[in-house]
Amino acid sequence: MSIFIDKTTRIIVQGITGKEGSFWTGHMIDMGAKVVAGVTPGKEGERVREVPVYHSVARAQAALRDGGEDEAEAAMLFVPPRFTKDAVYEALDAGVRKIVTIADGIPLHDQIEIRAAARSMGAQVVGGNTSGVISPGQSMLGIFPYWIERVYKPGSIGVMTRSGSLTNEVTAMIVEEGFGVSTLIGVGGDPVPGTRFAEFLDDFEADPDTNGVVIVGELGGTMEEEVAAAIDEGRFTKPLVAFIGGRTAPKGKRMGHAGAIVTGNAGTVVAKSEALTAAGALVADRPSKVGTMLRSLIAEPR
Amino acid sequence: MKRFEFQGKDLFARVGIRIPASRLVRIMEPDGTASPGGMEGALKRVDTAVRELSRKGGGTAVSRVVVKAQLDMGGRGKAGLIRVVDAGESGTGGDSAEPGGEAGLASAAVEAARDILSKGYTVPALLIEEAVTFQQELYLSISPEPTEARYVVLASAEGGVDIETLAAERPEAIKRVYIDPFRGLQAYQSRGLAYDLGLEGSLAKDLARLLTQLYTLFTQFDAELVEINPVFVTKGTAGSEPALVAGDAKVIIDDNSLHRHPDFQTVREQYDSDAAYEAALEGIPYLQFDGDISLMCAGAGLATTVFDLVNYEGGHVANYLEFGGPNYNKAQRAMELCLKNSSSVILIVTFGTIARADVMAEGVVTAIKNLKPDRPIVTCIRGTNEEQAHTTLREAGLEPLYNTEEAVRRAVALAAAATAQNNRGDIPQDATHDASGEAQA
Repeated sequence: MSIFIDKTTRIIVQGITGKEGSFWTGHMIDMGAKVVAGVTPGKEGERVREVPVYHSVARAQAALRDGGEDEAEAAMLFVPPRFTKDAVYEALDAGVRKIVTIADGIPLHDQIEIRAAARSMGAQVVGGNTSGVISPGQSMLGIFPYWIERVYKPGSIGVMTRSGSLTNEVTAMIVEEGFGVSTLIGVGGDPVPGTRFAEFLDDFEADPDTNGVVIVGELGGTMEEEVAAAIDEGRFTKPLVAFIGGRTAPKGKRMGHAGAIVTGNAGTVVAKSEALTAAGALVADRPSKVGTMLRSLIAEPR
Repeated sequence: MKRFEFQGKDLFARVGIRIPASRLVRIMEPDGTASPGGMEGALKRVDTAVRELSRKGGGTAVSRVVVKAQLDMGGRGKAGLIRVVDAGESGTGGDSAEPGGEAGLASAAVEAARDILSKGYTVPALLIEEAVTFQQELYLSISPEPTEARYVVLASAEGGVDIETLAAERPEAIKRVYIDPFRGLQAYQSRGLAYDLGLEGSLAKDLARLLTQLYTLFTQFDAELVEINPVFVTKGTAGSEPALVAGDAKVIIDDNSLHRHPDFQTVREQYDSDAAYEAALEGIPYLQFDGDISLMCAGAGLATTVFDLVNYEGGHVANYLEFGGPNYNKAQRAMELCLKNSSSVILIVTFGTIARADVMAEGVVTAIKNLKPDRPIVTCIRGTNEEQAHTTLREAGLEPLYNTEEAVRRAVALAAAATAQNNRGDIPQDATHDASGEAQA
């Protein structure tokens, strides 16, 4: 099994006819994703990999209903950052409740409004500034090099991450140790991610095929501390290993991701590590230790 | 994009926030070149500025001014980069006439400016302000609150101090007001905050108005932070009520929103090195350090982790550079920026998906061919099409590594070897460089 998406998840791709959109829609389908419709304003009637294209999400949903099919429940956005808020609202208003946006550069105030709107409607937006979500062997909403076998393999470890490149690095360590991934969720590197680490813990806790979780965090914000609180409160009881980048980053400097900055006393890697360790999680100070730490917690055959 | 204090105050003035009367004296032009006349020219402009200020308002003479270095740095006061001077301070005699009066004030300000500019900081400009006589200092800021997806106003009746210290020591002294992004700031919230800060009468109304103006600025200019510390509560005089005046201005505009604000241009004076400025123009994340290992990484999280690993292994980073995402085909530009540093090794680590390994390897090989770098290069390029990437690197005589930590150790060892060689005095000009580096530190 998996969380957020599986092979039955019906997906609409917004921005499907663009260069990135059409290329990655192909890879999503190859990975098993059930892409039922695409949207690009002005391109209704075209097809991408046999997927019908519509002017709008609402028109795509209507066509699915008219054809006797269920509506799409998830949307993958290949939409530039400055139009992302509009695309998210369009999907929300057309009844979509799971939305993934990879856009890097969404305006900060848009990020706030996107998260506020999604929460008020009981929806989850994942991203932006992320590689997306993948349940290896089942489905993918995003842009992962799943074809590199030493990095992406189906298995029992849930992964949540703030960084795409670092995820490849850490996932390779998980796979090297003989594990695989149930679902990987890139919450993204922005200061206001649509959905936060701790908000996926209930699903990972409930998923019978997830035996443990790895979080790939970094300096800045409070998402790692929220995970520690969830463990403390007993909401999450499975083994958890964290790697957190930016331990030696100087205060006040933005390290790559917009969200990766220590301001004041909040957001240091030391504080995050202490909170997680106190809650009973293991914290790796280097990616290479993640696999062996998992192995020390999970007696799963190699 | 951080704005200097004077730029923040310009924005304040646009939304009606009261700021002290002031004059700006440039030391550098926005493009980073020196303003005319060197130090003496600048001091002459300080003199003129103070004389203009002291005559303003026709009658009410300004008896004290503040000379404030304009640069992106916290703790300017402690560093001696903010100086309050009055006419009596100039006791040097000579031609500056007796203490008091316009001439005395100007010459005191000139001395303060000379002192500030002699401290070794890069100071693009000085802001000369009329000193405000106040009875109290407040703190006020607005920033995003990501957890609940809203904005948060932080306010305190004990402003003028380091807010982080106050938050740690006396958290109850900081009031919070949360703003729903769709409703915006409500009048009752501003009023309530004023009373919670202990303000009454016209000051309570002033605070409510100030907060509304600050929120307008925050939303209108897509700010990630607007902060006034301190907000001066002025002493009322006969015929004038006490009022609120912005003593400082910290405004950071969201980089992702700059397309909505073409007025905010990327200019040289905002950066601490040519390389940092040129990287910003390219949209390449770059941070300047003073070590000897240039990082040329793709992917923000990976670059940050490599930065940590270099430090763990006892190495020293010369620059942090991230050429992933939309910049993955800019290997040559990235290497040029690294070569602007006096580093002794370039460490390239990538693990990209869209940022294809084969494209990056090709770019690195081309860059080496064109730039002929004078220092060793360690490559650990992985991700999409990595087999092709490794073939490309091998054909160019480079050894492709797979393991990030191995690559880091290799780079740290190369840097250490270069330092050891320099210390033996084999290369005199580099020894000179070391000495000047120590002098700066």
